Amino acid sequence: MSLLKYESTLREPLVDGEKTYHQVTEDICRPVEEKANTGWKIGFTISVALLLFGVYSVYREVTYGIGQWNLNKTIGWGWDITNFVWWVGIGHAGTLISAILLLFRQGWRTGVNRAAEAMTIFAVMCAGQFPIFHMGRVWDAFFVLPYANSRGPLWVNFASPLLWDVFAISTYFTVSLLFWYSGLIPDFATIRDRAKTKARKLWYGVVSFGWTGSTKHWQRHESLSLVLAGLSTPLVLSVHTIVSFDFATSVVPGWHTTIFPPYFVAGAIFSGFAMVQTLMLVTRKVMKLDDYITLGHIEAMNKVIVLTGSIVGIAYLTELFMAWYGGSKFEFDAFYKYRIAGPYGWSYWTMMTCNVISPQLFWSKKLRRNVAFTFIMSIVVNIGMWFERFVIIVTSVYRDYIPSSWSVYYRPTIWEVGFYLGTFGLFFTCYFLFSKFAPVIAIAEIKHVLKTSGESFKEKMDVIEKESVEHFAHEHAHAH
Amino acid sequence: MGQVKKYVVGCFDDENVLFPAVKKVRAAGYKIQDVYTPMPVHGLDHALGMRETSLHTAGFIYGITGTTTALTCMSWIFTSDWPLNIGGKPHLPLPAFIPITFELTVLFAAVGMVLTFCYLCQLAPFVKKHHFHERATDDLMVMVIECTAKTNEEEVKAMLNSNGAVEVNVQEAPVGWWLGRYDRPSKLFKTREVAY
Amino acid sequence: MIKEQFEMTGRYKQWAYALMGVGVLALVLGFVFLKPTGDANSFGVTKFWAVLMHNSIFFLLITIASMFFISATTMAMGGWQTAMRRVPEAISGFVYIGGAIALVVLLGYVFGSQNTAIYHWKDAEHVAHDKVLNGKKGFLNPTFYSIATILVIGTWIALRHWYRKVSLAEDAGEQGDRSYFWKTIVICAAFIVVYGLTVGSTTPWLWLMSIDAHWFSTMYSWYTFASSWVAGLSLIMLFIVYLKNQGYLEYVNEEHIHDVGKFMFAFSIFWTYLWFSQYMLIWYSNQPEETVYFQPRLKGPYSGIFYLNLIINFVAPILILMKRSAKRNYATVTFMSVVLIFGHWLDFYQMIMPGSLKGDENGGNSIGLFLFDMGVAAGFIGLVMLVAGNKLTKASLLPKNHPFVKESIVHHT
Repeated sequence: MSLLKYESTLREPLVDGEKTYHQVTEDICRPVEEKANTGWKIGFTISVALLLFGVYSVYREVTYGIGQWNLNKTIGWGWDITNFVWWVGIGHAGTLISAILLLFRQGWRTGVNRAAEAMTIFAVMCAGQFPIFHMGRVWDAFFVLPYANSRGPLWVNFASPLLWDVFAISTYFTVSLLFWYSGLIPDFATIRDRAKTKARKLWYGVVSFGWTGSTKHWQRHESLSLVLAGLSTPLVLSVHTIVSFDFATSVVPGWHTTIFPPYFVAGAIFSGFAMVQTLMLVTRKVMKLDDYITLGHIEAMNKVIVLTGSIVGIAYLTELFMAWYGGSKFEFDAFYKYRIAGPYGWSYWTMMTCNVISPQLFWSKKLRRNVAFTFIMSIVVNIGMWFERFVIIVTSVYRDYIPSSWSVYYRPTIWEVGFYLGTFGLFFTCYFLFSKFAPVIAIAEIKHVLKTSGESFKEKMDVIEKESVEHFAHEHAHAH
Repeated sequence: MGQVKKYVVGCFDDENVLFPAVKKVRAAGYKIQDVYTPMPVHGLDHALGMRETSLHTAGFIYGITGTTTALTCMSWIFTSDWPLNIGGKPHLPLPAFIPITFELTVLFAAVGMVLTFCYLCQLAPFVKKHHFHERATDDLMVMVIECTAKTNEEEVKAMLNSNGAVEVNVQEAPVGWWLGRYDRPSKLFKTREVAY
Repeated sequence: MIKEQFEMTGRYKQWAYALMGVGVLALVLGFVFLKPTGDANSFGVTKFWAVLMHNSIFFLLITIASMFFISATTMAMGGWQTAMRRVPEAISGFVYIGGAIALVVLLGYVFGSQNTAIYHWKDAEHVAHDKVLNGKKGFLNPTFYSIATILVIGTWIALRHWYRKVSLAEDAGEQGDRSYFWKTIVICAAFIVVYGLTVGSTTPWLWLMSIDAHWFSTMYSWYTFASSWVAGLSLIMLFIVYLKNQGYLEYVNEEHIHDVGKFMFAFSIFWTYLWFSQYMLIWYSNQPEETVYFQPRLKGPYSGIFYLNLIINFVAPILILMKRSAKRNYATVTFMSVVLIFGHWLDFYQMIMPGSLKGDENGGNSIGLFLFDMGVAAGFIGLVMLVAGNKLTKASLLPKNHPFVKESIVHHT
C-alpha cells in the first residue's frame, strides 16, 4: 500500500483554490444551510406556476379526451411521444456520468455526478407522464402491469416493445434512484452532524439512515457503487435501445432501421450532456461552486458533446445513404421526399444544424472553455435533439401509403404545449428542491480525490514530476 | 441498544498519519473496533485486516434470480397459460423475451443488493447509532479502540498522542443501533447519559 | 536494471516463420486443389479468393484497432495504459504490410479475377439486368471501390506513421517536454475522425456488406467495428502477456491487465448488444429483403457457426471474465484472448462465406475445407508476430518521457 498521492501535473486540477477537507464540507453545505436567496425563490415560483399550467392542461386532456390534442389520423404519435423520447434521452446523462465514466476512470465526473443523477431521475419522471396520459383513459393505466386479473387470464403482450418500455423505464427509474440515494446517504450524514436546529437534525437524521462512516460500511459502499455502476452501464444503454425498438421493430419506412439502438443511445447521451451543461452552468454561478465545477469540467463535457454529436451525425448520414442504397422506393421517399424536403423539411434542417453542424465548433479549445458560448450551445443542442425525435416520429407517418390518408399539417394545441411546459415545471420544481435540500456535489467523493486533484495539492507534485522515471519507479512502484 | 462498552477514541486529520498509527496500534495488540472516516480511504480496510466484502456475489445471485423469474414466467404464460398468436411468431419468441429478461435481471440485482447493503450496515430511517465524534463525517478520521478489563487507558491515550492524533478521549458507548431521532438526546440509562 | 529493449528470441522467430510457412503451404495447396485459375465462377476460385479476403481484411482491421486504442485512450486523457503503450504501437505497425496485402487481394480480386460470385456487382452484364444492383451502381463499381480502398488504407498508414514518428521523437526529447503529447492529441483526433468515417461507416459497406449485394443493414459497420475491436484488444493482451513472461514491461502488472481485461469483457457485451439489435430487429419485422441475410446463416451448413459465434463471443467472456480475479490472472486472460480472436475470426468468416458461396452447389460442403482457411490464417498470425515483434525491437518498451508514464507506473484499480 503506497501512500503516494500523485497525478500528472498535465491534468487540470478538479478542485480549485486552497482547500482542506473541512473547507470542502463548508463550501458544499453552505447553500443547503443558508436561507434561500431571491433568485431561487423566483425560479421556484416560475417552476411551480408552469407545473400548475401543466396540471390544468392534463386535466383538460383527461376530462375531455385526446381530442384536446391535434393528433390526427396518421399522426397518432406527435408532441406527446416526441417529448417522452426527449425527456428519456435527457435522463441518460446522469447514469452515464456516474456509471460509464466511473468505469472509464474519468476523474472529472466527481464534480457533476450528483446533480446529473438527480437530473436523470427528474427527467425520467417527466418522461413517464407522456405515455401514461397518451393512453387516454388514464385510469386504466394499470393494464400495462403483468398480472392475470379480472380481465380473464389474459396477460400483457410480452413480445411488444411498448411493454418492454414499461419494464425498462420503471427499472431504470428504480435503479437510478437507488444509485443516487445510496450515494447521498453519507453526504446527508455530514449535514446531519452539522445541523443546528431541531428540525434539521430530525430531517437529516431520518434521511441519512444512521450513517456513521465506519470503514466496513465504506468498503461495502464502494463495492455497492461499483456493482451498481456495472449494472447501470448496460441498463442505460438498454433503456434508450428499447425506446428505439418502439419504432424500429415496426415496418414503417424511416422507423425500421437496424442502427436505431446505438444511434438513439448516442443521441441520448448527447442531449443529456447538453442539459447537464445548462443546469451546471447556472448552478455553479448561483451557488458559487465554480471551484468545484471548473472550466475543466465544462470543457470535458463539451468534448463528450462534440463526440456524441459526431456519432449521431454519422448515423444520420448512414440512414440517408441506406435509404438510397437499399433500393426500396418507400424508404427512399420517406427520407428524400418527406423528410429532408416536404412540408416538415424545416424541422429536418433544424435538427441537422443544431445536432451535427453547430457542435463541430467545439473542436476549438477556446469555444469549449467559453461559458457563455457553452450555455447557448447547450440549449441549441437540446432544441436539435427535440427536433430529431419530432422528425423521426412525425415525418415518418404524416404521409401514409395511399395519398387519400395523407394527413393535414400537424400543429399542437395549447394543451399539448401546456403539457410539455408542465413537465418543465415538474423538472425544475424538483431540481430547485433538490438543490436547496441536498448537497448538489458529492462531498465524500470530492474529499476522496482532493489530495490528488486539488489545486493546492497539485502544486506540490512538481517535485515528483521532475524525478527521473527510474527513481520514481524505484520509490513508488508496487511489486507484483 | 445492547450492552455498553468503553472505548479510547483518537482523531486524526491526515491519512498519512492515520496509516502508521493503525499499524502500531494493531501491532501493540489493541483491538481497533472501527475507524470512522468522512470519505472512503483506500486501503484502510486492508490495514485494519478486514476481509473483502461478498456483496457483489450476493448481487450476482439476485441477478440470476431475476433472469430465471423473467424467463420462466414469460415462457409459462406464452406457452401454457394463455398461448396467443402474435404476429405469426412462435409461441416462445426468445429474442422478444430478451429485453424484459435483461431488465428484471438488473432490477433484482440492484434492489437486492441495496437492501442487503442496508441490512448488513444496519441502515434505515430512524436508525440511530452512537457517534464518537461529530466531525467524523466532516474532516476527522476517528479511530476507536475497544477497552477490555486488562487495557490501560492511559497507555493507549499516550500511544495515540505520540502517533499524531489531534484529539484523544475515552467514551462509554452502546454497541449496535437503536430506534431513535437525531433531534432528541438519547437517554439510554437512568443513571448515565451517553455523550454526543 | 530493467529490460526496456525487446529482442526477438530464436523460438519466437521460429514460431513466426513456421506459421508463415504453414500459410505459404496452405496457399500452395489451395492453388493446387482449388485451382483458382480455373473456371471463373467455380467453387474453387470463389473459395480461394473469399479466404484471402476474409483473412486479409480481418487481420488488417484487428491491427488497425490498436491504433484506435491509442487514439481513444489518448483523447480521453487516459494515463493508465502509458506503460504498455508501445505494444499497440507495434501491432499497428502491421498496417503497412497488412494494408499492402489487403490492397493486393481486394484490387486483385476486383480487377484480376473473372470471378463474380463474391462481388456480384463486378459483373456489368448482370448489373444491367438486376434492378436493385443497377440502382447501387454509383457506389458499387470497380472505380469507386479501388479509389476508396486506396484512400482508406493510405490514410491509415499515413496517420499511423506520423503518430509513431512523434512517439519516438518524444523518447529522444527531454523529460517534461509536453509538446510531443499535444502533437499526438492532434494526430489521434484526426485518426478518430478518419476511423469513424472508414471503419465506422463506409469501409465495411464496401468491403464486406457488398458481398450480399442486395442486402443492407444500417448497423453493419458498427457491428463490424465492434467485432474487430474486441479481437484487437485481445491481440494487445496477448502481446503484453508474452512480453511479461519474457521479463519485459516491468511496470505493467495485474492492474493494467485487469483494465485491458475489463475492456475485453465490456466490449464483448457491446458486440453482443449490436448483434442482438441487428438480429432481433430483422427477425421481428420479418421483411424478406432483410431476412435474406440470416436465412443461409441460420439454416444449413452455417447454422453451427451461427450459434457457436454467440457462445464463443458472448457466453464465454461473460461467464469467464466477469470475476475480478479472472481479469487479473495471466492464464485466464491469455486463454480468453485466444478464444476471442478465434471467435471474431469466425464471426468474420460467417459474414463473408455464406454470401460468397451462395448458390454454389459445393457451398454446402464448404465447411469441410476449413483447413485452407486455417492455414492462411496461420500465415497471417505468423506475419503479425514477425512484424509486431520487429517493431517492438525498434524502440524502448517504456515511453519514459510521456507525461502520464508515472501515473501508469503507480496505477491501481
